[in-house]
Amino acid sequence: MEGFGAADRFDPWPKGLEPAVPVAGYPNTWTHTPAGAPFRRPATRTEATGPLELWRKLPCGDDNLAVAGPGRLAQGQLIRVSGRILDEAARPVAGAVVELWQANAAGRYLHPIDQRDAPLDPNFIGNGRVRTDAAGRYAFFTVKPGAYPVPVPATWWRPPHVHFSVLGPASLSRLVTQMYFPGDPLNAFDRILQSVPDEAARARLVARQLHPAEVGDGWLGFVHDIVLRGRHATPPA
Amino acid sequence: MNRAVAPLPPTSQHTIGPFFPATFFRPGDNDLTRIAADAAPTTRGETLLLRGTITREGGEACVNMIVEAWQADAAGRFRHPRDPGWREADPDFCGWGRAATDAEGRYEFRTVRPGGYAEAGGQRAPHINLTVMGAGLMRRVTTTLYFPGEAANAQDAVLLLLPPERRGRLMAAAAGEAAGVKLLRFDIRLRGTPEEETPFFVE
Repeated sequence: MEGFGAADRFDPWPKGLEPAVPVAGYPNTWTHTPAGAPFRRPATRTEATGPLELWRKLPCGDDNLAVAGPGRLAQGQLIRVSGRILDEAARPVAGAVVELWQANAAGRYLHPIDQRDAPLDPNFIGNGRVRTDAAGRYAFFTVKPGAYPVPVPATWWRPPHVHFSVLGPASLSRLVTQMYFPGDPLNAFDRILQSVPDEAARARLVARQLHPAEVGDGWLGFVHDIVLRGRHATPPA
Repeated sequence: MNRAVAPLPPTSQHTIGPFFPATFFRPGDNDLTRIAADAAPTTRGETLLLRGTITREGGEACVNMIVEAWQADAAGRFRHPRDPGWREADPDFCGWGRAATDAEGRYEFRTVRPGGYAEAGGQRAPHINLTVMGAGLMRRVTTTLYFPGEAANAQDAVLLLLPPERRGRLMAAAAGEAAGVKLLRFDIRLRGTPEEETPFFVE
């Protein structure tokens, strides 16, 4: 347990990396985002710690969203999304719990709140949970999600994206984010992606596609590394 | 700047959105007293049920918000190497739980009353950190619950950062008992007037 990402330094979010809120065109942000500024506090022990063996509470290993059972392949383009969970010192975060969820190839979520008139896929649940290995690696097989319109008066479309929830070694390293696909024209118009002011930070939310020659003929490969807050104040010698 | 490695910028956060899978939840996820769903609950500390609501502008209930709790064990220790006393921490206490709000905006956790602790930065009174995620929250929000009538509150390094008139908003309210367990209530108001909003923190 000693080696498990016990970062002892948490700097404030760098400028431009946090979404600017509330977001124009995203009405719920105007009713939910607290109006008052949060109180800045130092990271005390409660914030610098977190549950280290969370896979005991949140069972992991569900890494194939594309196959519901024998002969039951989900509709859509089969893809593999893989990457590493790192801290701000580029050290791998081992034992992190990584949760992933997404719409199906038609842009519909299997969720009671999603009532859009797009087909559900009986072979696609659309979520999974894994635990990173010693090198901080995770991987999922899934299908490429479809785009979908946001049901607000001035409609806009979400580009294909994958939701990530990462539970790392500290409360402060808790991260919920989304991953986008390179080259999608909708990325430039997505009010959620574009709410991150820093251009380079937005670019880091877009996965990198592997050259098909590296991957073979089974699926398309995307690589996406995720960096959690926190690092050691004194780097290991 | 004497760093071996140039720091990597952290990945930007986004909203958890409205579609966080219901199938991610299993019975016991909101029970901090168990390491795993099939593990026995801890035997150390006073068991508590924590209940509350999450509301938005206008006081309307927030449905399907995801709430995560984190706290020290009954002796004020964390089973984490950042705590010098982690080897003595309660091995049967998880300290973490996750809940989703129902149609009335209600959440519930089962836990034990945490202990306080002292560290270089100052004293911490018994407290529970709660983080809330949901559609409309591009950034998760974090607040801290305190226990009413606790003498250590007067020295808590975080509570003292708030103007005195806001501190009461972070006090849970004793709400009787349910099935022989002490009940606490803690309501969270997201957007509202300065008087209505729950104080939130950022580190």
